[in-house]
Amino acid sequence: MRPDFYRTLLSPWPWLVLTVGAVMPLLLPNYYLHILTVTLIYAALASAWNIVGGIAGQISLAHSLFVGAGAMLSSALLVKLGVNMWLGMLAAAAVSAVIGALVSFIDYRFRLGHLSFALITLAFAEMAEIYVIGTDFLGGASGLFLPRDTGDITQFQFGGGRGAYWVMLGMTALCILVNLAILTSPLGYNLRSMRDNENAAQAIGVGLLRNKTLAMTISAVLTSIIGTIYARYLTFADPYLLASPVLTIEIVLFATVGGLGSAIGPALGAFLLAPVGEILRGQLGDKLPGLHYFIYGLVVIGVILASPGGVWSFIKSLGRRRS
Amino acid sequence: MAILAVDNVSKRFGGLVAVDSVSFSVAEGEILGIIGPNGAGKTTLFGLISGFMPPSAGDVKFDGASIVGVAPHLLVRRGLSRSFQIVQTFADMSTLDVVTTAALVRRPLLEAIDYAGHVLARVGLQGKEHLTPKQLSLQDKKLLEVAKCVATDPRLVLLDEVMAGLTLAETEAPLAVIRELNAQGVTIVMIEHVMPVIMRLAQRMIVLNFGAKIAEGTPQEIVENKAVVDAYFGDHVDA
Repeated sequence: MRPDFYRTLLSPWPWLVLTVGAVMPLLLPNYYLHILTVTLIYAALASAWNIVGGIAGQISLAHSLFVGAGAMLSSALLVKLGVNMWLGMLAAAAVSAVIGALVSFIDYRFRLGHLSFALITLAFAEMAEIYVIGTDFLGGASGLFLPRDTGDITQFQFGGGRGAYWVMLGMTALCILVNLAILTSPLGYNLRSMRDNENAAQAIGVGLLRNKTLAMTISAVLTSIIGTIYARYLTFADPYLLASPVLTIEIVLFATVGGLGSAIGPALGAFLLAPVGEILRGQLGDKLPGLHYFIYGLVVIGVILASPGGVWSFIKSLGRRRS
Repeated sequence: MAILAVDNVSKRFGGLVAVDSVSFSVAEGEILGIIGPNGAGKTTLFGLISGFMPPSAGDVKFDGASIVGVAPHLLVRRGLSRSFQIVQTFADMSTLDVVTTAALVRRPLLEAIDYAGHVLARVGLQGKEHLTPKQLSLQDKKLLEVAKCVATDPRLVLLDEVMAGLTLAETEAPLAVIRELNAQGVTIVMIEHVMPVIMRLAQRMIVLNFGAKIAEGTPQEIVENKAVVDAYFGDHVDA
């Protein structure tokens, strides 16, 4: 890894942000803590997606499948078979990794372009949603209720609000760290060269299959684990939320607004937009149905117009101008 | 021993025969020039040798072993590197990052970054490490193509028109790099349109026309070859 990886780790900023993040639950009322937890979930998802969609530049719309696998499979194993949710989390992550590798292989074998890749991954996600809804074991259309969270960590229970928040804070930090590690290691160089030009990447010795598969499996495993945590946090594994391609669209939106390909950008995008969406829905959802979507859409358009290359690159360019 | 042996290689696209039973071999340490009119199949031939497309018939041997069906990135690892005629840009990577990626073929990351800096300086791109390829002039882009090849530590490089579009003066920098590479023992096969350049550089040349090899010999023999003159100027030219 490049020295700047360690420099970033040793600099005070990430630790300051983590510390402030860690004391938040002690200061915030429950409602805002919930919004912050959901924001962290989306920040982690956007960050995990960025490995494939940003760094490797492949717009994967399959990621709701990985969230769904992490949420529905681990929940079903617990509720139907009594399997410890930690094991369920690992099993779901393994399934996601295999599916991710399969998607990469198809992409490599048939030399899918960007558009075909997006469409095929969307097809995978749609099939997954239909499969979940049609399968009783996975809860079918009505989903699965999880047992009450008693705070027993050995049972993947984190004690509700605060516990789930801290777990998600750690998970988000891990996802950002993985992004940073990839960007400052040979894998990052290989993925970026592939993103820009696959032929030219091959001509400088970059193996497409190996690198695509690595990126996709890392991303799928992280996404699946977040899915398991998300289901546990909600105490209800809802296929229409957790296995729906609409979820992927939100992830892609946050990552793009924040700044594709950078380590921190996608999480930043989630922090800018997710709370706005949640608060608008909370404030306006019952007054005039649909209005919160409208305002949210305007906010998104505003942010994109203000920083077309992503908020993070906008902030960086401000920093450069000043120095 | 021949480092590269092309044996009766053909490539058909539907009814079009882009490369037609071409055979030639290249000795280790040689500089071979390939010329021919537009559409003669030169770049296709490079694609066949470097693993980017499979030949319809025939065999290509690198270092004595057949390389038909071997993926391009594995050929690079074995020491066969190519440049592209149409400069391949990487939109979001600096020239240093691009060349570092190439250097990663044989080096751990920190060494690769270091080496990439040296290679860029060697081809004359020092001070432009942090520009993206899009910000480079055509001449610099061509130098970057050469730098990408050099950074993989090749034994054989296929250079596809690295001097096309440059003025004669601008060809000096890439020429020097190619000579230096060759002096270090790297075998070079180059497609080139700039005749004065390739005449000075190549020890041997082959000429393609309509996909077939029509002549082979020293640069002097080639310019005196009637079939070659006919291919370039038509056969009704009265001298």
